[in-house]
Amino acid sequence: MLKDITLGQFFPGESYIHRLDPRTKIILTVFYIIITFSAKSIFSFAALFLSVVMIIGISKISFKTIIRGIRPVLYIMIFTMILNIFLTNGEDLLFHWKFIKIYKEGIITALLVLVRIIVLITGTSVFITYTTSPIQLTDGIERLFSPLKRIGVPVHDLAMMMSLALRFIPTLIEETDRIMNAQKARGADFSTGSLASRVRALIPIIIPLFVSAYRRAEELAVAMECRCYRGGEGRTRMKILTYGLNDFFAIFIFLLFLAAIILINIYAPGFKL
Amino acid sequence: MDTIIELKNITYVYGSGTPFQMTALDDVSVKIKAGFITGLIGHTGSGKSTLVQMLNGLLRPHAGQVLLHNKDIWENPKEISSIRFKVGLVMQYPEYQLFDETVGKDIAFGPKNMKLSDEEIARRVEEAASFVGIDKALLDKSPFDLSGGQKRRVAIAGIIAMRPDVLVLDEPAAGLDPRGRKEILGRVRQYQRDTGAAVIIVSHSMEDMAKYCDEIIVMNRARIFAQGSCAEIFARAEELVAVGLDVPQIAYIAQALRRGGCELEGDIYTVEGALSALVSLFEKKGIPRKTANNA
Repeated sequence: MLKDITLGQFFPGESYIHRLDPRTKIILTVFYIIITFSAKSIFSFAALFLSVVMIIGISKISFKTIIRGIRPVLYIMIFTMILNIFLTNGEDLLFHWKFIKIYKEGIITALLVLVRIIVLITGTSVFITYTTSPIQLTDGIERLFSPLKRIGVPVHDLAMMMSLALRFIPTLIEETDRIMNAQKARGADFSTGSLASRVRALIPIIIPLFVSAYRRAEELAVAMECRCYRGGEGRTRMKILTYGLNDFFAIFIFLLFLAAIILINIYAPGFKL
Repeated sequence: MDTIIELKNITYVYGSGTPFQMTALDDVSVKIKAGFITGLIGHTGSGKSTLVQMLNGLLRPHAGQVLLHNKDIWENPKEISSIRFKVGLVMQYPEYQLFDETVGKDIAFGPKNMKLSDEEIARRVEEAASFVGIDKALLDKSPFDLSGGQKRRVAIAGIIAMRPDVLVLDEPAAGLDPRGRKEILGRVRQYQRDTGAAVIIVSHSMEDMAKYCDEIIVMNRARIFAQGSCAEIFARAEELVAVGLDVPQIAYIAQALRRGGCELEGDIYTVEGALSALVSLFEKKGIPRKTANNA
């Protein structure tokens, strides 16, 4: 069901990663993306995979949740794997039938790309979505980008919009679920029939969803105005973010990791992507 | 009375394996009688809405069986939508699921999914609209132009138009003013009397339950707490209060009157019942009828 989509859901906890400053986590995520894409040799991919397992372990998020989070991108993963298997040229020909040629290199590349996608999705979602509440996250983004205010970027407004958007994802998912159930109770069928009829079957969901999204937006605007919201000017915070020793330590570890990956790429290339 | 729908040892758990795991139904067994209006009450989060979604197969139980006419509804999962035509479920705040250009088309959505003929659909739309008191002239209007109460009635008509054997309403009167409540619940009762269908109403209002239901099921913490007639249930006032519920106010008044030495007869849990008990008491004591009526 829709509720099973965990991508973009916060799991409260007390782990080391939970306690990091959201700004640190954003920086770590950026680092992690860089690391993932700089990994070239088969050994650095192994290190990468190990690191993601460790990160999951430290965060104390259950593997079941992680797997459920990957499931929505399964088709993308299969698709890229197929492309890589069939379209990579190499030396070691394993299989040949008419115009289809599969090389050993193609299979390895496909596997490495798979690891890359998995690591990318799990790594970033552990840092950003599973262990950081949306409020912390936007707080972090606002603070991180606050220097841009000087050149006229409305950082606060953008952060607020983002936090509202994030805040309403679960609500809208729930709402979609409810509307789907209501229409199913009237015999609506979303999973069989031709593509055209399936698209048509979405109308009874989308229209009520839009109506309620607009209603919610209006109610929210009124509620915010009732509490005298006037933008970020002069607004104080209840929780002020501070960097701790933990944060510097985490960033230090990641810098080391990045250096290690680059060194592995150079000195132990093995199979190279 | 025959059992029309039966739940056998149903268990349902939300978000199993996550930190948010919650058992919504814990080994629940219950029988719903045909030709009755059954009320389902329970505090918030007691599992009422989950139970209701079991009845028409919107949720599949993690353990146990749902029997409709003594047949397991999950025997053939592909045919589950045919069950949904037999067990019509009106969800909470159903007015938010209206979508079509006109009221008539929206009511016709269910019958259309049943693949009925156009004449039959038209007949059912008209019939369902008149059951819920929607004027024929409104059928060509956009559902978004109606008032809240009217929208709710249109949504209920959308289910009634499928002519279900069991009509389930989850909080049909929530958020309506007293007149709206009376109107909707009265229409539902009339529908039950006219068609003989089994009706299940989920509600928080003890007054409504006492007034409209023949039988009451009380839920507490994912389990069935009690099942019985209104009299049987409301006689257990203290237990009800202990599980976060209440009895109708008039039952408290009757209790107070009795404590004050007023010899009222019978079980009193509706205003009408209290009135007739008072009238018979007055007659017994020889107080003229006129005075009694003024009281």
